[in-house]
Amino acid sequence: MYAEVLTRVLTQVAVVVGILLLTSIALFVGRGRLVETAREWRSRLRATAPAVAVLAAVLGLNRVVRWRGDEIEGAIGFHMTETFYDLEGEFVLLFQSIATEELTAYFSFIYVYGYAFLLIFPGIAYFALSDTRTFRRLLTAYSLNYVLGLAFYLLVIAYGPRNVMPEELTVTMLYDNSPEYQHLTREVNRNTNVFPSLHTSLAATVGVFAYITRSSYPYWFPVAAVLAASVAISTMYLGIHWAIDVVAGLVLAGVCVRLSGVLVGRQPVARFRRYLDRRPTPRDDRE
Amino acid sequence: MTDEKTASPGRPRSRRAVLAGTAGLAVATSGCVRQVRTVVNRDAVDQLSVTIVTLPADGDREGIRLAREVAAVLEAVGVDVSVDMRSNEEFLRAILINHEFDLYVGRHPGGTDPDFLYEALHSVYAEESGWQNPFGYANLQLDDLLEAQRLADGEEREAVMAELLEELAREQPFVPICVPEEHRFVRTDRFDGWGEAHPATRLGYLELEAGDDVDRLRTAHTDARISENLNPLTAEYRDHEPFLELVYDSLATERDSEIEPWLAEDWTYDDGTLRVRLREDCRFHDDEPLDADDVEFSYRLLQDTELEDGESPSPPPRYRGLAAAVDAIDVDGELDLEFELDAGEAVAERVLTAPILPEHIWTERAAPATVRGVSVAQGATEAVTVDNVPPVGSGPFRFGSRTEREHVTLERFDDHFTRREDVDLPEASVEELRIQIDPRSTSAIELVSTDSADITSAILETYVLDDLEPAPETAPLESPSWTFYHLGFNTRRAPFANARFRRAVARLLDKDWLVEDVFHGYAAPTATPVTEEWTPEELAWNGEDPATPFFGSDGELDVEAAREAFEDAGFSYDDGALRVRR
Repeated sequence: MYAEVLTRVLTQVAVVVGILLLTSIALFVGRGRLVETAREWRSRLRATAPAVAVLAAVLGLNRVVRWRGDEIEGAIGFHMTETFYDLEGEFVLLFQSIATEELTAYFSFIYVYGYAFLLIFPGIAYFALSDTRTFRRLLTAYSLNYVLGLAFYLLVIAYGPRNVMPEELTVTMLYDNSPEYQHLTREVNRNTNVFPSLHTSLAATVGVFAYITRSSYPYWFPVAAVLAASVAISTMYLGIHWAIDVVAGLVLAGVCVRLSGVLVGRQPVARFRRYLDRRPTPRDDRE
Repeated sequence: MTDEKTASPGRPRSRRAVLAGTAGLAVATSGCVRQVRTVVNRDAVDQLSVTIVTLPADGDREGIRLAREVAAVLEAVGVDVSVDMRSNEEFLRAILINHEFDLYVGRHPGGTDPDFLYEALHSVYAEESGWQNPFGYANLQLDDLLEAQRLADGEEREAVMAELLEELAREQPFVPICVPEEHRFVRTDRFDGWGEAHPATRLGYLELEAGDDVDRLRTAHTDARISENLNPLTAEYRDHEPFLELVYDSLATERDSEIEPWLAEDWTYDDGTLRVRLREDCRFHDDEPLDADDVEFSYRLLQDTELEDGESPSPPPRYRGLAAAVDAIDVDGELDLEFELDAGEAVAERVLTAPILPEHIWTERAAPATVRGVSVAQGATEAVTVDNVPPVGSGPFRFGSRTEREHVTLERFDDHFTRREDVDLPEASVEELRIQIDPRSTSAIELVSTDSADITSAILETYVLDDLEPAPETAPLESPSWTFYHLGFNTRRAPFANARFRRAVARLLDKDWLVEDVFHGYAAPTATPVTEEWTPEELAWNGEDPATPFFGSDGELDVEAAREAFEDAGFSYDDGALRVRR
C-alpha cells in the first residue's frame, strides 16, 4: 500500500521530469553541444569524477543523518519554533489571502516536479559545456548546500508553519490537498528539518548559476529565475517553511556559490592533474 | 544559595537578627542601613513567564490549536507565554518522565471507570515517573477520597466519587477541557461487526466477522510509534490503540465498561480476596507454558520493575494504579491464585486487566538499563526502556514482522484459548492483521476508500469529518469516548501550586467555544475528567461550566474581570504584566 503509493508517485515524478528534461535539452542545450559531448564525455567524466563522488557521499550522509539525526538533535539542538513564530508571526498567511485553486495547483506542481527538474537540468546543461568548471562548481555548491543545511538541521529543532497554524493553512497545505506527496517527502525529510529551506537554497543556487552562465545559456536564465522564485514562494504558500527559513536559504545559496568559486579551480583538481602530468605516459585527456 | 535565602524577604527575622547584631557598633547609621537593605534585599518580582508544552499539528492537530488559544488568553491577562512543541514521544517524556513543563495541553487516556484518578492524582506518586501523578499534585483530603472510593462498591462508591469530583472541580489540579468524539472510517464489504465492541480494545477486532475469502485485516494507523516500540510498559510510545492487547492477554477484559473473564476462567471476590482460576494449557507464542507463576510475576514486575521488594521500588510508567491495589498474591498450584487486595469488587476486577508477561523473558529485564556513555536515571530498568521487538505474549495474535514507520504485521496465534471449541469467546477471524502506518487522516481515509485498508485504526482528526463521504462499501464509525483534553499544571512550580491561581486560569477557557472552534463541534465540553455516567448532577455541563464558569462569552474574554480574579487571588499587576514571585 505505502510502497505502492510511493512507487506510483515516484514513477509519476520520473515521467514528468523526464519529459521536461528532454524538452529543455532540445530547447536550451542544442544539437551542437550534444554532438560534442558525445565525443568528449569520457574525458569530462574523468575530470569531474571527484566532484560527483563528493556529492554522492554527501547525499548518502544526508540520508542517514536526516533520519537518525533525532538522537544528535536531542543532545545539541535548540527548540526554535517559538522564536521564529515570535519574529515573523503570521507572515506566511499573507499567501493565504491570494490563494486560489489554480495557484495551489501551480505551487504544488512547482514544489515537487519543478524543483526536481530545476536541480537536474543544470547538471546536464553544464556537463554539455566543454569547460567542466561550471559543472564542477555546481556539484560542489550542491554538496555545500547539503552539508551546511544538515548542520543547521541538527542545531535547530523547529516545526514549519503547517504544524503551528494547521487550521489557517488548511486550504493550501500540500499534504492535505495532495496526500500522496507526503510519502515522497517523508522519504527524505523529517518535520523538524525546516531551517534553512533547502528547497530555496538549492533553487537559488541554480538561479545564480543560470545568471553566471547566461552567455552560454541565454534563454535558460529567465526560466531558471522564474522557477527558483516560484520554488521559494511555494515553500511558504504550502505552509512548509517560515519566511525566515527562506531568507536563510537565500543566504546559504549565496555562501555556497561563493565558496564553490573559491574551492573549484580552473583546472580539475589541479594538483592531482599535475601529478598525473608528471607521469611518463602521455595522456590526451587534457582540456 | 543559603546566603540568598536568609537574606530573602521571606525570612525577615534573620535579617533583623543580623542588623541587631551590628546595631551596637553603628547606632547612628543603623536606621539608614536598614532602609537600604530592606529595599535592596527584596527579590524582584517578575512578570510570570510560562511555557506550554504540546504536540505539533502532525502529532495532534487539535492539541496545538488548543495550546495557542490557551496562550492567547494567558497573554491577555498579562502572562508571558511561549508554546513548546515536541514530537509524540518527546512530549510524553517531558510530561510524564522528566516533569519538564509549566503547563501542557494534551489528551489524557482517562478511563471508563473513574478509578484512573487514583493513579493520576494520589500524592504518593508525585515523585514517580509515568501516568501516575505527572502534575506533582498533593492533597491529603483528595488522597483519602481516592482511597475510599477504591474500597467502596455500589452506591457508596458513587457517593464518595461525587464528593471526590467536587473537590477536584474546586482544586483544578488540571483543567478538563472536553471529551473529543471518536470517529473512524471502515470498510463494510469485507468485514461485519464494526462497533460490536470498542475499536480501541481487543474485542473491537476479535468481534469482526470476515467475509468469504477474506483472511487479512488491514488497518491504516496514523501514529507511527507502534512500529517503533512494542513494549506495553513504555508510556511514551503507547496511545489509545488495541494492538498490544491483541498480543498480550490479561486475566480479564473490558466490554462496555463491564469486566469479563479472559485468560482467567472465572474468579470470586470475597472481602478483599480475589480467587482466580486460569484457563488450562495456555501457552506463550514461543510455546512456553503460561501458568500462575507468570501471572504472579507480572504483577510483581508492575509494582517494581527491579523485582526487589526494596525500600525504593522502580514502578513502570503504566499500570501503576492497578498494581498498587494488590497487597499480595498467593500462587496455589499451576492454575489458581489468590489476590489480597486493597480494593472493593469494582476496582478489584479492574486489576485483572493488566497484561500478563512471560517470566522467562522479563526476569532479566529487571536490571537497570544501560546506554553506553549515558548516565541512566534511577529506576529506569530495561523493562521500561526496551523496545520489546519481537513481543512475546500469549494473546490471539503473535508478532509477525515490522518496518519502522511503515508497518507492523501480526499473525493469528492458532493455539489461543479463544479458538477452542469449548470456549465461547470471540476469536480472530483472520490469519493476518497488518497495521499500515500512514501519518495523515486524509490519506488514511483514502486507503480505506480505495480498498487498501479496512479501518483507520487511530482516531480521525476532527477537521476531516465534515468531508467524510458515505459510499456503499464504506462507513464512518463512531465509538464512545473516555479520553479527554486537558490543561495540565506542574504544581511543583510556582504559582501553579496555588489552587486559587489554577482556578483563575481555568476560568479563562471558554470550553464551549473551543469545542466549536477547534473541534468543529466534534467534542463535548466538560467540567469533570470522568465519563458521563459517573458525573454528578451538580457538575454536569449545563450550557456553561458548573465549576469554573468562563469570564466572558462566545470566546471573548472579559479581560478586566479575569485580571480582577487574579488580583483577588493575591497576585498583582504592574504595567499590565502579571507579577509573580517564583
